[in-house]
Amino acid sequence: MRIITHTCSACGTVIAANELEDNRVMKCPGLDCEEVLRFTDLPEDARNHFLEYKEQYQI
Amino acid sequence: MKGVLLSGGTGSRLRPITHTGPKQLVPVANKPVIEYAIEDLEAAGITEIGVVLGHKGREEIQELLGDGSKYGVDITYIVQGNPVGLAHAVGCAREFVDDSDFVVYLGDNMLRHGVSDLLESFKTGDYGAGIALQEVSNPEAFGVADVDEQGTVTRLVEKPDDPPSNLALIGMYVFSPTVFDVIDRLEPSWRGELEITDAIQLLLDDGHAIDSHVVTGWWKDTGKPEDILEANRLVLGDKDLKMIGVIEEGAETDGRIELAESAVIEDGAVVRGPVSIAENTTIKSGTYVGPYTSIGANSTLEGIHIENSVVIGGSEITANGRIVDSLLGRNANVESADELLPEGRRLVVGENSQLKL
Repeated sequence: MRIITHTCSACGTVIAANELEDNRVMKCPGLDCEEVLRFTDLPEDARNHFLEYKEQYQI
Repeated sequence: MKGVLLSGGTGSRLRPITHTGPKQLVPVANKPVIEYAIEDLEAAGITEIGVVLGHKGREEIQELLGDGSKYGVDITYIVQGNPVGLAHAVGCAREFVDDSDFVVYLGDNMLRHGVSDLLESFKTGDYGAGIALQEVSNPEAFGVADVDEQGTVTRLVEKPDDPPSNLALIGMYVFSPTVFDVIDRLEPSWRGELEITDAIQLLLDDGHAIDSHVVTGWWKDTGKPEDILEANRLVLGDKDLKMIGVIEEGAETDGRIELAESAVIEDGAVVRGPVSIAENTTIKSGTYVGPYTSIGANSTLEGIHIENSVVIGGSEITANGRIVDSLLGRNANVESADELLPEGRRLVVGENSQLKL
């Protein structure tokens, strides 16, 4: 199963794609980080893959 | 080498304690379980640690650990979100780990001797992974490894009817970055999770050597209330306990006692160690605190007999009675009903609580 993550460019916190997709737009969960993260920050092929196999990333 | 500390999970087996916080923050001998893991990693020379967080208690864990500087380590947070299995949690750490070997430590597990021996054993060969094993009397209840005379793993079997050995896998692993390619090929198991044992089995199937290290000291998964009590007993039995607080004249103390600076054992109280009493806690006259008990911060005990128990903190325990083998959540109070009519016990009990009256 392809595991898709995004790393915040400001603080280095890593966020799984399912978390980004759940929120679509979110404040970075890193400590004292004000960066805004979006599902669309992921590359297009990663987004498409995630959405195609979305049920695998849920529990 | 880097460290990946898995700190997700729902803590369902520790309810109701985990209704209000993550299981990794439940204290053992008045220290959150996850701090033992951080200290073990630091002691093994691992100062770059990725802490994988789930949904439960994410902010509380971040608030406790911060950037790691108070432990002498550098922490990067990895937000897994949905708990889709240990292999998924490990896979989320790929960018953090990059090209280095790394150790995976389950944040609710405790090892008496830490992970240094596991790492040293792994470094002696060209291994795809190293796993920690422990001899158990009921291997059919665990994932079990079959190993050759050199300690190299030949196969893994999950909860076998006919175990090939009595060596159970415990929640400590070392991996080379090769594991990420293997995780990419995993499919969810019958329970919908990416299983770490499946990843190790795939490494074996691909021809990678898997090292093993048999842990000789105690190991504890603190997933259930009875496990917390057992871990508390084991740690208090081993720990160097410092008595800094106030013991009033007329108090009776015996054995090893950890007493925080602002804690007080008052005249007429009896405390028999090993016991840990945290800051701003008072043991009043007529109270007996017996062996293998930890009393958390900001608590008051009066008139009670308590032993082999963990009081997480913020409690008022003032009943006349005996409390044994018990785990009391934060701010839980136990008071006397002696003067109240009609006679009877009065309970305000949360979901999933267990009472034996």
